[in-house]
Amino acid sequence: MKIFRLSLFNLRKNRKEALAIIFLTFITVFTLGIVAANLAKVMNVFDECYEATGSVRTLMAFRGETYREEYKDILEDDYNIRDMKLGKLLLAINSGLRDNDGNKLSENFVLLTEDEDLKIDDFVKGDHLSDEEIKNIKHPIWIPQVYEITRGYRPGDTLTIVAGGRDYPFTVAGVYATGVCNNSNVMIKLIVTENDYTLLSGVFEVADFLAFDNDGEFPVMEFAAKGEEKTSEKLTQSLFVLDHYTEKYVETQFPNMFMIMAACLSAITMVAAIFLIRHKIGNDIEDQMQQIGVLESLGYTSKEISQSYVYEYVITVGTGAVIGAIAAVAVTPLMNSTLRSMLGRDVKGAVNVLMVVAVAFVITGLITVFALLKAGAVKKYPPVVAFRRGIRTHHFGRNVLPLTGTGRSINVRLAMKSLVRDARQNIGTGFCIVIASLAFLFCSYSFDIFKNGFDVLMTVMGLEVPDETLTLMNGVDAYEFSEEMAKLPEVEKAIPTYNWKYVHCKGYDGQSYVNIFDDFSLTENLFAVEGRFPQHDNEIAISLRSSRDKDLYVGDSMIVEGDSIEKSYIITGVVGAMSNSGINVFMTCDGYRRICPNERPDGICVYLKDGYDRDEFERKITSIYGASAADMASGSVTDGSLEDRIRQKADEKIALLITNYGVTSVDYAVKIGDQMITGNSSKFVVKDVNSLYDLAESQMGAIADATRTFTFAGAVFVAVVVAVILWIISSSNVRRQRKDLGIMKSMGYSSRDLMKQMAIKSMPVTIIAVIIASALSFPLQSQFWFNLFSADMGVNIPLMIVLDIAMIIYCYIVTYICAGRIRKISVTELMTE
Amino acid sequence: MSSILTTEKLCKSFSNGGVQQHVIKNLDLEIIEGDFTVIMGASGSGKSTLLYALSGMDKPSMGKIRFAGTEIQDYSNDQLAVFRRGNCGFVFQSVYLLENQTVLDNVLTGALIVQKNSPELISKAKDLLNKVGIMEELWNKYPNQLSGGEAQRVGIVRAAINDPKILFADEPTGQLNSASSSDVLDIFTQIHRNGQSIVMVTHDLKTALRGTRVLFLRDGSIAGEYRMPPYGTDDNKVRRTGLQSFLDEMGW
Repeated sequence: MKIFRLSLFNLRKNRKEALAIIFLTFITVFTLGIVAANLAKVMNVFDECYEATGSVRTLMAFRGETYREEYKDILEDDYNIRDMKLGKLLLAINSGLRDNDGNKLSENFVLLTEDEDLKIDDFVKGDHLSDEEIKNIKHPIWIPQVYEITRGYRPGDTLTIVAGGRDYPFTVAGVYATGVCNNSNVMIKLIVTENDYTLLSGVFEVADFLAFDNDGEFPVMEFAAKGEEKTSEKLTQSLFVLDHYTEKYVETQFPNMFMIMAACLSAITMVAAIFLIRHKIGNDIEDQMQQIGVLESLGYTSKEISQSYVYEYVITVGTGAVIGAIAAVAVTPLMNSTLRSMLGRDVKGAVNVLMVVAVAFVITGLITVFALLKAGAVKKYPPVVAFRRGIRTHHFGRNVLPLTGTGRSINVRLAMKSLVRDARQNIGTGFCIVIASLAFLFCSYSFDIFKNGFDVLMTVMGLEVPDETLTLMNGVDAYEFSEEMAKLPEVEKAIPTYNWKYVHCKGYDGQSYVNIFDDFSLTENLFAVEGRFPQHDNEIAISLRSSRDKDLYVGDSMIVEGDSIEKSYIITGVVGAMSNSGINVFMTCDGYRRICPNERPDGICVYLKDGYDRDEFERKITSIYGASAADMASGSVTDGSLEDRIRQKADEKIALLITNYGVTSVDYAVKIGDQMITGNSSKFVVKDVNSLYDLAESQMGAIADATRTFTFAGAVFVAVVVAVILWIISSSNVRRQRKDLGIMKSMGYSSRDLMKQMAIKSMPVTIIAVIIASALSFPLQSQFWFNLFSADMGVNIPLMIVLDIAMIIYCYIVTYICAGRIRKISVTELMTE
Repeated sequence: MSSILTTEKLCKSFSNGGVQQHVIKNLDLEIIEGDFTVIMGASGSGKSTLLYALSGMDKPSMGKIRFAGTEIQDYSNDQLAVFRRGNCGFVFQSVYLLENQTVLDNVLTGALIVQKNSPELISKAKDLLNKVGIMEELWNKYPNQLSGGEAQRVGIVRAAINDPKILFADEPTGQLNSASSSDVLDIFTQIHRNGQSIVMVTHDLKTALRGTRVLFLRDGSIAGEYRMPPYGTDDNKVRRTGLQSFLDEMGW
């Protein structure tokens, strides 16, 4: 009990330091507690939603008319899959939507009717209008929960689908929960009426789908190969598979990233706390050496005395841990709400209190063990040694950095002497600064990457992202039309390309998206990190992930399969590519035609001049070139003047010729009396106008914003932790050296001199630690971003140098300010001791 | 001889449990250059408090201190520290050498804050150490390897290395045996003979005998003053009797 009172006395004496340790422990337990309690939740929410909504684990869509019964047989026979459901849906890749405010979004989505949806999930309804209200809506649409959570759509809102140059406004009838297709980064599933489905069938690609349950990731390529073998028909290009595994990975990737980052930050705090406590115990023992001697002479054992130090930290750490654990539990509703926003699903359930308590116990235990080990040092000091202030004060060694060699500044010399003297302590300080700097550099660098939103991701997307991408009607000459586009006043340049083409690279599991351009130097978002882009038809550039995963480098060759034709290509470059799981390839148009000889460029990348609005340009292009042939072909003429009706009828006929007979160009002339009405098929040139930029923004914008906020908060957090570390070290050192500092004051050293000495003393350790952290941050950051984005985000060396200098200056200033406790040391107090 | 330090209505009070204790009360004092002033008095009479105030170690509560023509009573702590550098040397009862520094480094720590490092400075430090009997073999020793007397002699050299205007000493022999005390006092006498002004607090008669002027402090005020010729220039017995009778008169 007496020992415990001694601990309390020490605590009262060093209240501020105790509070700082409580703060560090609180932060550690709070953050790690949140991570531990919610990490499992992130994974479970997804699975629970699948279970609750009866969602199938795999949705396999066959684009166009490519579905064959044999595929079902293969699934049954080779994969033992039962209870498959066959249905139909409309596939809209990178298609436009408008929200209530008329803002355009780009999304990948599927459209299907309620009956078809019941083959995929149970269509579990959430908030929705009354049946009566829904009956009165002309075009009702059901949206998945993610739209309600992340985009704020409510029942009764207007959601407009933009396709083929037309707006298709729908009224949100309600929200439904689903496991599958509830993620903007993968696919969204929208439910429409039979009539609207039929209407949109002329606009979007129809696909047959098979919905079924299976375990784990579905082997798509293997299945496609079997299908092709059995039917002798091409399947890989038309197969589109969404599985539980992929969707879960995509959906949980970023929440997990944030959790891991938070865990790393709290681990840093924990290491700092452990180090500081060890450091403080060491200083306390040295400072209280004579008291220890007195206690030992009075009969206290060294074990009892060490216990007094340990109790002190059990009390502080325990207090911090309890507060941290309570706070971690208390923020559960907030965490649920945050996770709900990140996952786009309802997150319910109480916090895993057991996990939080376990974290608190483990951290308290861990710190206590380290405290115990350090406090054991009391054993080294029997009473006589303790009275003489420890054997360490008996110097028999070499006088390192004698003052006879003092250069310009005695303060620097004394600081360096002190630095050498406290070498062991400096290793610990250095270690703390290394990990803190590493975290600071990582957070600051990440913040810098995302400071302009998701723009940076455009450079590593591995896709060309022009202002607008035009998809042309069959038979339209992309080269001729791009020249026509280039003449428009808004257009800076227009480059022909192939839209959404996939090839199969031998040895790869999935299909590779292929970027195809005649001249890659005209592109603006594609950058080779090694080598160059292809210039000849036998050349190819590959993604960084392919290069690393498949051990392929510039100069190697690879076999690529297109339209049943395989050709070998020489790798000329490596490109950072985060899209399509990072397995993109890059070929020239000639190169692509070697494996797909029947295909011609069907798209145009349009780059607008500065100051022109994309939406306005889209409207203009749509009005001139963008009528939907399929839509027009099924239309009926009912009103307008005679000329209007004749023109509309003529357009209908042209549309029929284009859609049914593959006609590519039509001119007409109709004479009524003296009036000649003429026209042509020019308005049927552009099938679709969309913006990949909008799609990227819709998929990555929120993530970029969240990352920017999180990393900024992380950098501030680390700066605070560093300040706390330096403050505790400084105050502990000032207390330990109180007598020496007082003596020096009596000699005429001002508080500023002594504070400067303390700050200078910290500099070599800080500089070395920051350099080590910088060196370590290169590979760590590179690997982190590669794992996340399959791309090399590069290292901004000037920024890193600036950050290093900032960190060093920050440490200097903080140490200087923290050493301000020296001001309180009174010489007279020293003399009256 | 001119005065080097004067005080005018100097007061120093401490607050103890809400009660003000006036330790120095309206004290007017003049320290003459070249004097060896000894401050004596009973315990609690304010000797040390006065010494700290005079040496700029502590700030007075009221009144003025004019040191070498400069009023220092309103100086900040840092200004006082800078002021002390060139003007004051201090010898403590408990020596207070820097335990982590060698003998020579302890001396140089005091010197290098005032002067630039130079071979002359180093040789001056070594000369002074030699003069007080700290020979070369001890220069690289650490304080814990020295005897009490040796340590105090190093302390004196450290205080004297910058040729301060006044050397202040707070019971410098208080923790020494009689042989060591005598050695240390001899050093003070020698330094004084070389023209150094010294202000020393003591309650030891033998130590006080080394002074040329003895001030007796009672209840924070100077109760009396006794002057003596420089030590060694008169009969020691007569000197002792004179001082003893002064102290008796003061009720010591």
